[in-house]
Amino acid sequence: MNDDEKDKKLLSLLAAPQSEAFWTRQKEAIIAATRRKSGPARAWLLVPAAGLAALLVAVFGSQLQGPRSDAPQAVSTAFLEHLDLLDDMDVLEAIPEEEL
Amino acid sequence: MPGLGVKNRVEEIIEMEKKETRSAAEFPDEISFSRVIEEHQRQVYALALRLTGNAAAADDLTQETFISAWKHLKNFRGDSSLKTWLLRIAANKVRSYWRWKKLRAWVGLGRRDEDGEEPALEEILPDAPSGRPEQAALAADLERRVQAAISALPPRQREVAALKAQGLSGEEIAGVLGMAEGTVKAHWFEARKKLEASLGEYL
Repeated sequence: MNDDEKDKKLLSLLAAPQSEAFWTRQKEAIIAATRRKSGPARAWLLVPAAGLAALLVAVFGSQLQGPRSDAPQAVSTAFLEHLDLLDDMDVLEAIPEEEL
Repeated sequence: MPGLGVKNRVEEIIEMEKKETRSAAEFPDEISFSRVIEEHQRQVYALALRLTGNAAAADDLTQETFISAWKHLKNFRGDSSLKTWLLRIAANKVRSYWRWKKLRAWVGLGRRDEDGEEPALEEILPDAPSGRPEQAALAADLERRVQAAISALPPRQREVAALKAQGLSGEEIAGVLGMAEGTVKAHWFEARKKLEASLGEYL
């Protein structure tokens, strides 16, 4: 056997012995994996839309909550004034009717 | 009537183009990529197997190689052949694998049996080597000897030998491993000498 033939024989020993079923299974696994990897990559395309939706929800939410947050504050102010009046009731009672 | 014949031929070509466009649009990349896998998976796997000595790792690295190729297929400029490009990705993945294993061993996470270069034989051998027990035993013995011989080589010689076994020229191997062609020849000279000494009885 000459050197070239010996080389070929030697290199052929380094091939990976596997059955056809193995190669088919491996190919299918690779294709399935590339599909899975493509999925999230496409989902990232929705990020700007999702961001815009979140912004809109935040804006509308704050607008809806605006009057509600004012209302309790107004009530509480009136309530405090009412309490002040009650505190001053003794004074009011002490003032003659003509001065009121 | 010649005019009618020409018209029919033009319509036929337009129809053919329409069909081709439709099929290409329906299955643009997956079918062609499936062919790429079929054509090169044996070489990528064999390279990974001979460089890691571990069938499960070789299977994972083969998958990772093709997934990387799928992601970066648009960046493939065609300066080298597709096979060389895939084997370069695979060789880089294997180097990362060894770096990761060394790091794990360094921090004490690697199991001792994981670090061994001897793969489990049932992982490497085909599902049914030949259907006959004595031939299966011979195949198992050969496989064990081959893997032991290549695992005993220094890393660079091992890489050169494994890439040479995939049919790459010295110039292509030099491109994949980022070394001079003369260095590749020197590594192959040493590797061949050692492999012949270990596997002489099979040559």
